[in-house]
This record gives sequence, C-alpha cells and structure tokens, in this order.
Amino acid sequence: MRFRRRNEQSVAHSERGKVNPMIKTLIVDAAKCSGCRACETYCSLKHEGYCAPSKGRIHVVKWEREGIFVPVNCMRCQEPLCEMVCPKRATYRNYSTGAMEVDPYRCIGCMSCVSACPFGATFVDQDSGRVLKCDLCDGDPTCVKVCPTGALTYEELSKETYLKLIANADRIPALVKTALGEE
Amino acid sequence: MFGWIGKILKIDLSSGKISTEPTEQYIEKYIGGRGLGARLIYDHYSPGTDPFDPSNPLIFNTGPLTGSAMPGSGRVDVTAVSPMSKLRAKSNFGAYWGPELKYAGFDHIVIIGKSEEPCYISIKDGSVQIRSAENVWGKDTLETQKAIQQELGDPETKVVCIGPAGERLVRFACLITETGDAAGRTGMGAVMGSKNLKAIAVRGSGAVQVARPQELLDLSIDVIRGIKEHPAFQELSNWGDVRFQTVMWDLSFFPVGYFEDVAWQEIIQGYQGPAFVEKYKIRNMGCFCCPNRCMNFLSVPGVGKGVASCEPFSGFTGGVWNLDMDVFWQATVLNNRLGIDHTETSASIGLLMELYHDGIITSKDTDGVAMERGSKEAILTTIRKIGAREGYGDLLAEGQKAFASSIGPEAVEKLDQVKGLAPHPYEFRAFKASALGQAVGHRGDPLPLRSALLEVDWHNAPEWFQKVAKEQFGSEEAAIPSSYKGKPLATIISEHMERVPDNLGICKWVYGLFIFQDVEMATRYFNVVTGKDWEVDRLLKVSERVRNLERMFDVRQGLTRADDSLPKKFFEEPLTKGKYEGAVIDREKFEQMKDEYYDLRGWDKKTGIPTREKLEELDLKDVADEVLGKP
Repeated sequence: MRFRRRNEQSVAHSERGKVNPMIKTLIVDAAKCSGCRACETYCSLKHEGYCAPSKGRIHVVKWEREGIFVPVNCMRCQEPLCEMVCPKRATYRNYSTGAMEVDPYRCIGCMSCVSACPFGATFVDQDSGRVLKCDLCDGDPTCVKVCPTGALTYEELSKETYLKLIANADRIPALVKTALGEE
Repeated sequence: MFGWIGKILKIDLSSGKISTEPTEQYIEKYIGGRGLGARLIYDHYSPGTDPFDPSNPLIFNTGPLTGSAMPGSGRVDVTAVSPMSKLRAKSNFGAYWGPELKYAGFDHIVIIGKSEEPCYISIKDGSVQIRSAENVWGKDTLETQKAIQQELGDPETKVVCIGPAGERLVRFACLITETGDAAGRTGMGAVMGSKNLKAIAVRGSGAVQVARPQELLDLSIDVIRGIKEHPAFQELSNWGDVRFQTVMWDLSFFPVGYFEDVAWQEIIQGYQGPAFVEKYKIRNMGCFCCPNRCMNFLSVPGVGKGVASCEPFSGFTGGVWNLDMDVFWQATVLNNRLGIDHTETSASIGLLMELYHDGIITSKDTDGVAMERGSKEAILTTIRKIGAREGYGDLLAEGQKAFASSIGPEAVEKLDQVKGLAPHPYEFRAFKASALGQAVGHRGDPLPLRSALLEVDWHNAPEWFQKVAKEQFGSEEAAIPSSYKGKPLATIISEHMERVPDNLGICKWVYGLFIFQDVEMATRYFNVVTGKDWEVDRLLKVSERVRNLERMFDVRQGLTRADDSLPKKFFEEPLTKGKYEGAVIDREKFEQMKDEYYDLRGWDKKTGIPTREKLEELDLKDVADEVLGKP
C-alpha cells in the first residue's frame, strides 16, 4: 500500500534530514522553443522504443503562422486534479522526483484525469487508450537532453521555490478563468 | 519494417482510384527518398508525355530516416517531369509534413490523373480522401493551410499546397508548407495545379519503428550535444545564413544582377540583411527535430510574418540590384503567398533589368513599368504580374525564354539558363568545380555540392583545404578554384555524397555539407534505425545507381552532351573586378573536364550517355534495354 497524505507535507517530509534540501524539476521556457518537436519524438523513443510524437508525454502546441510554440508538460500541481478525480487511485505522486505517475495496473482507462487536467498535459494513446503521463524519466528527463534551445531545463530549486511553483500551478486555471471573465 | 513504413500510396485523380504497393521491393537498390522516387517516375512516366498531361506523375518521397527523430530528419523529395525543362524535376522541402506523412502510414505518394474539379487530398492514419477544394481555390498558400486545418478540424494537420501561381500554371510555381518552407525549383506547383490539386493534408498518430532504439537515443543525445558546440550551429541557429551573403559577394562567388557584375561595392559595404534580421526576427526556426535552426522567422509590421533562408537573401537583393531590405521582404512574402520559386523569379526580374539596361527593351515591353536596376516598382509589380499571369507577367510565367523570344534574337542571346532553368546564382567563371557541377548537374541546378564549397572556402586556408581535397577527392588541386584538375572526380564523389542524405530523407546541409562533411554519420544512423549493416560504400553505390538512373531518364527525354553546358557569357566575358578579376572559363579545358567526367563515370564521351556496361554493372539492365535498345 502506498502511503498517501497532503503533498506539501509529504514533499517536506521526504526532504527532512537531507543535507541538500534542493529539488529538481522540469522548467519550460516557451519563449525559447523553436517548435522542432524533438521533445515529443524522443519521449516516445525513450518510453515506447519508436518514434511517434503522438505518443509523447510532452506536447508542443504550435502557432506556426505567429512563430509561437508552447511545450505543454505536467505542471505537477500541489493539489493535482488528475489524482483527485481518479476513481481507482491509479494516479500518484512519485516522491523521489515529484512526478505524477499512473499505475497501469490500477488504471481502468476512464480518462477522468485527461479531462480534469487544466493544462491539457495528461495525454492519451489513441490506439490503446493508455494514459501517457510524464514521469520525468525517473529524474533524468530525455526531453531536456535533446532540446536544442534550452526551452526545457531540469533545474535545481530550493524547496520553497518548488512549493511556490506547484502552488502556482494550482492557481493558474483560476486566474485564466478570471482573466476570461468567467468567474 | 524498421525505418520504412512499407507502403507506397497511389492516387489516380481522374478515376478517384486509390491503391497501395509495398515499398520493400525497391529498398535494396534505391533505399528510398530521392532514389526510390527516381525509380518510381522512371516506371510511371510514359516517354513523350507533356508535363501538363494528367499522366505526368507527381511523386512525393520520404526516406527511411524521415521522421526518425535524428537531427535533420524532416526532408521530402518531390519529382515529376518539369514543365520548365521537360527533364526529370527534383525539388526538396523540409519542415514537418514529411514525418507526418510517415506517421499517417506512407513512405511515398504517386499522384496521376487530373481531378475534374479543384480538389485536395486528406490523408489521416492510413485513410485517404479526395475532397473538394472549392473553398480554398484562389487562396494564397498561408490562407489555404489555415482553411484546410479548420475544415478538417485539426490544427495539427500538416499541409503542403500551391498558391494562385500554381493554379494558373506559372511554370515555376512551387509548393509551400508552413510559412515559407518550399519545394522551390523545377515547377512542382505547376504540375500540381495542372492536376486541379490544391493541397495534400496529412495527419498521423503512427510511428517510425526503430531497430535499435536505445542506441538511437544515445547516439542522438551525443550528436545533438556535438552539433551545439559546432561553429556552424552557432551561426545558423542565431543568424541563419544571412551573414554568409556579404562574405560570398566579397568573394565574387555570388554574382550581382543577371550574372552581370561581381564585387558590387555598394552591396558589400551596404548590405543591411543582418541588421534587418536583428530588428525583425522573432526567433530562428528549423525543420523537424533539427537543432540547426537555419531559418529566420521574421515579423515585419505591415508586410507579414514568415521564415526566410538562403535564396531570397541574395536573389531579391544583389540579384536585382536592390539594397532596400523592406523590398526584399515584401518580395519574399509575396512570392511565398503566391507560391512561386524565388530563384527563377529573381532571375527573371534580373533578365528584364539587363535587357532594359542594355536598351533591348523599354517600359513599353513591360506594361509601362521601367525595369530600372533595383527599382522597387519593377521588382514587386513583376512578381504580382507573374502570379496573376497578367500582361508581361503572363509571358514570363511561361519562362524566361518565352519572354525573350517575344522580344527577339537579341534578347534570346542574353539568356543565362542551364537545361531550361535559371542556374543557381553562383559565379562560375572563378570556380571551376562549381561550373562543372552545374553543367553536368541533373536539373540545371544541383548545388550546393561539397566539391564547390571546398573551392569557395579555399582562400581561408589554402593548404588546409588542399589537404582535405587530397583526402576526400584524391587531389590537392580539386580545392583550388582556378584549377581544372581533379574537378571531375571531386564532382562525382560529391554527387554520390549528396544523394545519400537525399535517399535517406534527411538534410544534406547537416549530413554532407556544414555539420558532417562526409556521409559516415548518415550511414551510422541508417544502420541504427533500420537494423541493417551497410558500409558507407554500399550507400554510395546506391547513389551511383540513382545518378545513372536519373541520367537515363533524361536521356530518354532527349538529353545529350550538348545540354551539359553553361551560358556563353561565362566563356566569353572575363570578370572585370574583384578577387578573381580576369577569371573566365576556357571552353577547351571545360570540355576536357567533361570528357574526364564522362570517362570516370563510365559514360560515352561523345554523347554523354551511360554505357550499357556501366548500367549492367549497376544492375540497371532493364533501363539499358529500354533506352539504349536491346543488344
């Protein structure tokens, strides 16, 4: 059985007593992205053993005619909706990396997490119905190694900054709604 | 299969019939991409058919490495019979369409026939639809892509299309994808227009299978890291090739006007390209999975957004005596939207300017537009009129020769064309390997080749480049621009090298010219992806077969040794200034280079036609039997 509790406490707990309280995570800087799709394609190569951007756990949303490209990847929210809505508790946080992962043996393919993700960052394999979720390659993300522009980096952050980052992820959907005048 | 998808898609637009054929039977002899495409057109084209006849096949070719994630794996080769030369056409484009075609389930598409009504083809995960293009016919290339993505309800659909110029059968109309990636040369847009085909949209969720995935991943991580430290990467990914231009003009490698001048001081000192790019660049962009972002994405208020690289930077500046970068960008965007080849367009305008300058034409011949050198009005109006086939633009749309013929023999005399095409605007008088490569080249414009680049770079470090030439091409003299020695072998080796990335569906700038200067890396990737165990020589042997097959296609179309030539200007008018002042091509030595070239190739010296012996050695007996006649 996996031990579950509030994330903030858990992250803090997992770091307790360590010499270096730094946490590494994937940072996206869309302003640097050239839209080359290397992250998507190598992600599928790493996880599936073949080249298919559609099977990537990261996806570049492209506005070619404007020259704007935004890599979309799991934000690892502080209170992840994907985890909350999962009826089988298949989505869980890997506390060694901070990644939200999906236990394929528990997942029943209901797609609740895919619909719930406010960032569209939970993907699905259209052939098999599997949920594709970034696992940060167990702390050594492939996409970062192949990104030619530095749009993707795996950075060491202080615990405080990391917590702010994932707390912000929780706030973004609400802010967008406010900005759109929906709330 | 690993690498290849394994299917060739065949579409007959006349009957609406759609079928497929396995790729596998061709790969041992032709690999894929350009090489396999050469075989497909050889088999599918009936000799003597007009380029605008529905039976002229339009063929799109990806290779085994297209879509394989390796750097530069986004290339597609396009072939048909060219409406400009009646020889085999060849053009190549990058960006994202090619990989998507493979993910959608096909390596090649062969399109024959002609649709009754304007149509476009939609390919999605193996299913093929021919749809009405009623809503997009008449739209420019950017609007067309957007409208099709909207109609299909998927913004990630990749579209390659023609603009109004292709619809109107402008003979040098091109194909455009994204904001300016083009299959520019040899009039593929006109062939597509002649089939009433506006666009091909592709979307796929499939995969390119890889024989050794972990090795591919490790190799790529290494290669990407290496590329990022390469000096060419630093330049390309920040500036594209805009800063090369001044160097080339200073070197007399890029001519000015219609091959009229070199070392034009105004442009050497006053070229505003880099400043323009710095001011308007949003970012640099590249093709699928490529770290080398060799295109500048520019956004100029009031004119438009899009990518620029390579040709227009010299064509719409020095090529038409223009120093105003706003005009350069207006011309580029206009051309991209209309879907016209930059090289041929700027050369056509250059021709008008030369004729006007020499008093052979007046503004009366060009609808009242004075074709003054560098005139903004002359440049932009001519492009619009070609795209609209209006007034003198209608004649120019038929080609430079058609226009010149309408003026008279004096104008025809001025034409600078090779095999019906504007040659690449390089100054051949000073650079003999460039001259030979261009003259014997497969479409009148095969450049750039490695042998030509060595000559251009030679002045930077003569001894070093001579050493490289000795290692790669067997003689030090191959690197010396003014020398006629060693050039034929250097050209042959370069032609074979060039076809390796083309056959694999990858970028020859990366695998053969600027990053890797031989084909070792391309071969390594080929083996890792496909699981084969081929030596470099085996890939080069395929290149030789492809070169000979391409030649035989053109021989079947009536090509002879006399077509392997250059405009007479290069033999008769020495350069009057610049670094290579006085340089001119000696006709006799030029013909001797050709003799040596044909000899080394195993071609008949008198006719320039491959011998039966050579063809049989290359396993092309059937081609020898058909074209040379049975022994």
